[in-house]
Amino acid sequence: MQPNHFLKAGIFAIVTIASLAVCWELYLRHKGYSVSYDDAEPLWADKRAEVYQPSNQATVFIGSSRIKFDLDIPTWEKRTGENAVQLANVGSTPLPVLDNLAEDKNFKGKLVVDVTEVLFFSTEKYSAGSSVEKIDYYKKRTPAQMASFQLDHLLQSQLVFLDKDFFSLNSFLNDLHVKDRAGIYGGPDFPWEFDKTMFNRQSKMDDRFVSDTNLQNRVRAIWGSLGKVNKEKPPTGKKLDSLLNAIKTDVDKIKARGGQVVFLRTPSTGPFLQMEKAGFPRKAYWDRLLAITQCPGIHFEDYPSIAHFNCPEFSHLAPKDAVVFTNHLVQLLEQKGWNFSHSQLAYSSHHQN
Amino acid sequence: MLFNSYTFIAFFLIILVLHNMPFPWKVKKINLLIASYIFYAAWNPPFILLLWLSTVVDFFVGRALYQQENKYKRKLLLVVSLIGNLGMLCFFKYGGFLLENFVTLVNALGIDYHPAKPSIILPAGISFYTFTTLCYTIDMYKRKSEPVKSMLNFALFVTFFPHLVAGPIVRPPQLVPQFETPRTATQKQLMQGLFLLSLGLFMKVVLADSMLSRPAETVFSSQSVLQSLDAWIGVLAFSGQIFFDFAGYSTCAIGVAMCLGFWLPQNFRYPYAAIGFSDFWRRWHITLSAWLRDYLYIPLGGNRKGEFRTYMNLMITMLLGGLWHGANWTFVVWGGLHGSYLCVERLFRPKKAPSDEVPAPETAPAGPVIEPVPVITTTASFAPAFFRKKEVQNFFWALFTFFLVNVTWVFFRSPDFTTAWRLLLSMFGGVSSGAAVLQTISIVKVAVITILMVASHWFLRNTTMLEVAAKTKWWIVGLVWSAMLLLLILSQESSSSFIYFQF
Repeated sequence: MQPNHFLKAGIFAIVTIASLAVCWELYLRHKGYSVSYDDAEPLWADKRAEVYQPSNQATVFIGSSRIKFDLDIPTWEKRTGENAVQLANVGSTPLPVLDNLAEDKNFKGKLVVDVTEVLFFSTEKYSAGSSVEKIDYYKKRTPAQMASFQLDHLLQSQLVFLDKDFFSLNSFLNDLHVKDRAGIYGGPDFPWEFDKTMFNRQSKMDDRFVSDTNLQNRVRAIWGSLGKVNKEKPPTGKKLDSLLNAIKTDVDKIKARGGQVVFLRTPSTGPFLQMEKAGFPRKAYWDRLLAITQCPGIHFEDYPSIAHFNCPEFSHLAPKDAVVFTNHLVQLLEQKGWNFSHSQLAYSSHHQN
Repeated sequence: MLFNSYTFIAFFLIILVLHNMPFPWKVKKINLLIASYIFYAAWNPPFILLLWLSTVVDFFVGRALYQQENKYKRKLLLVVSLIGNLGMLCFFKYGGFLLENFVTLVNALGIDYHPAKPSIILPAGISFYTFTTLCYTIDMYKRKSEPVKSMLNFALFVTFFPHLVAGPIVRPPQLVPQFETPRTATQKQLMQGLFLLSLGLFMKVVLADSMLSRPAETVFSSQSVLQSLDAWIGVLAFSGQIFFDFAGYSTCAIGVAMCLGFWLPQNFRYPYAAIGFSDFWRRWHITLSAWLRDYLYIPLGGNRKGEFRTYMNLMITMLLGGLWHGANWTFVVWGGLHGSYLCVERLFRPKKAPSDEVPAPETAPAGPVIEPVPVITTTASFAPAFFRKKEVQNFFWALFTFFLVNVTWVFFRSPDFTTAWRLLLSMFGGVSSGAAVLQTISIVKVAVITILMVASHWFLRNTTMLEVAAKTKWWIVGLVWSAMLLLLILSQESSSSFIYFQF
């Protein structure tokens, strides 16, 4: 062995890796990719820790992916003068998070619950999985994990190639699209342009997605395939009663501590909306939910100001529409009796100026 | 703090800089001790009190054991140490398990007793540091070595962060003398240490977590009977996952210690190239098997009290070894299967002079290890010449050993016997129509990694990675190192814990 054998090898490795990393990053940026955060347990837990702000300083949002796309957080914060804490989880029912907040005696704030019926009323284990895992992580989070998260955030905010959903070894292998045996479902294969995650956990479609119908059709096809894979029937009878009673119990606990809860049915369009209406008739699900919990609700179809949107892939709002939707949402919440630091008057005068 | 986390990288860089500053040796040791406590407290700060308690009690009890002449007082002191260490381990690790079994027993006897389920959090690495401190007090009782004179050295021996939470399990004579004289790594040691750290992280992050954990999880969490292919791929995935996870941790630990100028014993020597089970336990979790030999098997009588007692001792050692891994009967069965394999192997092995089964742990820096190759049964003379070659025969025996090891992993990984039994039925065609759960790409990944893993174990079985790297051209080592780092960057997942932390 030569005297500097490992030193030379180490320097070679560092130079090679540094060069490759720089080239890879420049290539991805040249291709139009930008930073997207890993929407995993650490980021969720970081936001979960923010729910203890006084009720006149923050509103917590729980639900599925729709509210992540439809709520434009900068607009919300500018409009209300308060923070938005986004705790919704993609492809997951919000009920475990509702229960977690209800059991937390220190949570006394404002809560908006997004209702995507097919997930909200699901009792299957998979639809709760993502939320349950995140809650579990939050409860067991160690000081080391919190510190790692801060360093991770620093790196993720600068480097596009750290997007594990699209630029990791596993994502490259999945991109090979090796044919599967009959009956195996490998999960949805969303295009990168569909969902960029911000540090505040807001999801945004890329401009290319909004303008490219091919990309939109790809996601529409995914909704179709998910519909075929999902064999769960909407709950009825005692199963539904028990689910609604559990929701009522949680909501009552939050209200008893001085908290406020509003249910929100975010927009969907086209065949997706038709499927939802057929599977979850409004009277049997939405109306009963509000009646049993005695909570105010905002259903997009009831308000012309938020009923006219066209979801590019039938289920989520484009970023520009999210801004409009958020402005109107604040207005509707104020009509329902919610107070925010920036009053409606201030908003109106600001817009007139 | 996990080795595979950004926090650790920042932490380690600070320690490395501090350790190479011109401070007196005592200051450097205090730095290392404080760093080790920070490393441990980063999981759950209150549990650091247990570590202090264990350190202080064993330091004074160990010294008293060595100095005390009255044999009754000596025994009393030993009992105090055993109760202190094992009592803590039993409470945190086996408390819930013991209560659950007690309730089952009394309910079976017709007594209606249903206590509330205890909520006990297992302190990280308790099984490892308990064994580290236990071997010190037992050695003091037997007067096998001198008591550690300095509390600082003893605390550092117990707490030294590279080995603290998942081994290698070190003995006082291996580590304490290294704290007595000033040490910093040479340039060669530093680079070798960094190479091992990269290799360990590659094994853990890329192979165990990114490639193998998901197929294993899919198969072991399935609630239905599976096709044989899926069941086998799931078990092979776990077989690779647990090796890369644990050997990856040990490799990181050895590398980190080496960067600071310290040597830790090797814990794995290509176990999937083992020819037979006594060979397997010379290669898998070496420091635990050596501990069990020295502090359990030999005190029980080893192989010195006749054939029957030897078999009994082997079984007791392996059953308790199984239980050490976790408070579940599935771990006991895992240990029992390994014990049975060892007994059968012993039964069919030609007689030789009595000797204990497992070699002593290393007390010097790792060098090439020449393994005694077990005697192979004669192949029929009409077999082709290729199959009569000893090397080929050994390879097939190694594959057979690997096959049996995989059967034991079913019990190790399954949460209960229902899952284990369902999986065994699926693996051995005991069901007519099983479900397919794995994607083709997962099957390909597991198959390729398993083949490469077994082949590399076989070809490297009598050497070490550092020796191979030293004999290879520097630019080839550089290329391999780059590839490992590149794959590490491409496998950035939210860091997951090491499997052995739960033991």
